[in-house]
Amino acid sequence: ARMKRARVRKQPCTLKELEVSVSELGLGYVSDETVLFRYCSGTCEAAVRNYDLSLQSIRGKKKIKKEKVRARPCCRPTEYDDDVSFLDSKNHYHTIKEVSAKDCGCV
Amino acid sequence: MNMLTPMVPYSLFLLAQTALTFSLSPSVSWPSHTDCVHANELCTADQSCSSRYRTLRQCLAGRDRDTLLSSQECKNAMEVLQESPLYLCRCRRGMKKELQCLQVYWGIHAGLTEGDEFYETSPYEPVTSRLSDIFRLASINSGSEPVSSKHNACLDAAKFCNVNDACKRLRSTYISTCNTGGGEGENCARRKCHRALRTFIERIPADLSYPLLFCPCRDQPCAERRRQTAVPECSFKRPEMPNCMEIWANCRQDPVCRSRLSDFITNCQSSPQSVSGCIRDNYAACLGAYAGLIGFDVALNFLDSDPHSISIGPWCSCNGSGDQETWCERYLKEFTQNRCLRNAILAFGNGTDVVHRQSVTSAPRTTITPKVEASNVLPDNQSDSNILPEVDPGICTSFQEIKNSSTPELRICVSESQHNVPNLRTDEESHSGTQQLQASILYITFTLVFRLSMS
Repeated sequence: ARMKRARVRKQPCTLKELEVSVSELGLGYVSDETVLFRYCSGTCEAAVRNYDLSLQSIRGKKKIKKEKVRARPCCRPTEYDDDVSFLDSKNHYHTIKEVSAKDCGCV
Repeated sequence: MNMLTPMVPYSLFLLAQTALTFSLSPSVSWPSHTDCVHANELCTADQSCSSRYRTLRQCLAGRDRDTLLSSQECKNAMEVLQESPLYLCRCRRGMKKELQCLQVYWGIHAGLTEGDEFYETSPYEPVTSRLSDIFRLASINSGSEPVSSKHNACLDAAKFCNVNDACKRLRSTYISTCNTGGGEGENCARRKCHRALRTFIERIPADLSYPLLFCPCRDQPCAERRRQTAVPECSFKRPEMPNCMEIWANCRQDPVCRSRLSDFITNCQSSPQSVSGCIRDNYAACLGAYAGLIGFDVALNFLDSDPHSISIGPWCSCNGSGDQETWCERYLKEFTQNRCLRNAILAFGNGTDVVHRQSVTSAPRTTITPKVEASNVLPDNQSDSNILPEVDPGICTSFQEIKNSSTPELRICVSESQHNVPNLRTDEESHSGTQQLQASILYITFTLVFRLSMS
């Protein structure tokens, strides 16, 4: 189990996909239509820069206290997928933009 | 599977019928369909062809068949051109330069339609794909979904489109284009919507688009979804109901629309003699022709969301047709009461098909077979593929109405699901099924004898 967890943690930032219903997106739309949801997942250890190390160090010395800072790169979409259109349960069409990732990166 | 072994007369019947369809063409051997863009190039390179072609275009410029036929010069030009690749050329749906190709085609054929302008022949190459191929692809896609009463085939179709990047993108493009504005009346960008729909239909393979258009439904939500596929509020409905004769005439002004309309008339034409209900016995061709109309004012759509009836029609009526009303009503029935289209949709839903089989070589030889083959009026790739109804064991009925022992039996098969659908067969047919079969056999015999005596 430890081996497996370690491997999962080591996985670098990549694009993953999942088939979900529109309702499951939680955007307030009610529809049974299935869409492909692509998301970014993985760690960004290789993307740690001097900036991150320095920020960690300075924060550790309590020089930054009240601000919220992030001293680690984050796996996020760098580009979003095309729009998704669907028919809802009341037979109206909707189009949602930027709901699914197209490309991921450590930023 | 061994039920599908040769059933000669039926295939001969179809061959003969196809041969008759093409019998107006000159009796030169049919080159594998040259496309009209290429044929035009060939003709331009040939001096005699190009000068005759110019002459003919002038003859046809008046759009008057009578002047064409009365002038000797025009007649000569016509005769020469009938033997050039230009006369037999066809186009492919969605080909590069489709418009240019169709312009060349109609440039020659527009003035030459004999009789009824409504029944123009399709300028497109015959469809050789089969419904079963499309269906099989579509079923592979859908995996083994449990068939429950809640099963919604249209919802599945949307899913399979959504998980395919190209399908999702083009579907979303047409939906968002057709759905903007949204209010009453012509608040949507109808032209843009039509263009986006045509792009979707042309670029997305049939195994993804046909399930969206023709999904079989058992309940109202499914049927409503099916009705909504092409966003009819924008692409189909209009604030007023136009006159059908007018929208057909408008359509004929546009080479692409005219081609799609004639393609529908050609490939979905119903036949009471044919088991499939279609004169061409090709469901895939009929569904393709229906899909080809989408994105034009002459498009058809499901008219309601009743899952048990397939009520389809164009957005027009025969009101205000004046003295053309009888014609209008007659033509309108080709869309609203089309047995071929209805059967094709049902067949797509349950995976039955008109199956093409290569059975000529293994068929018991009769004196007729080689004759039909030798006439060589069919396109190369079709000349030896026969069309047979798919055999459903147990429901097939053999008819040996003709006593002559040399005549092999005619097998008529209707799948069980088709039996159960009330709208599939008209009342008249169910009353006189046997008579119809007898008529068919007579027709086959007659047709063959006729062909023989002609050749």
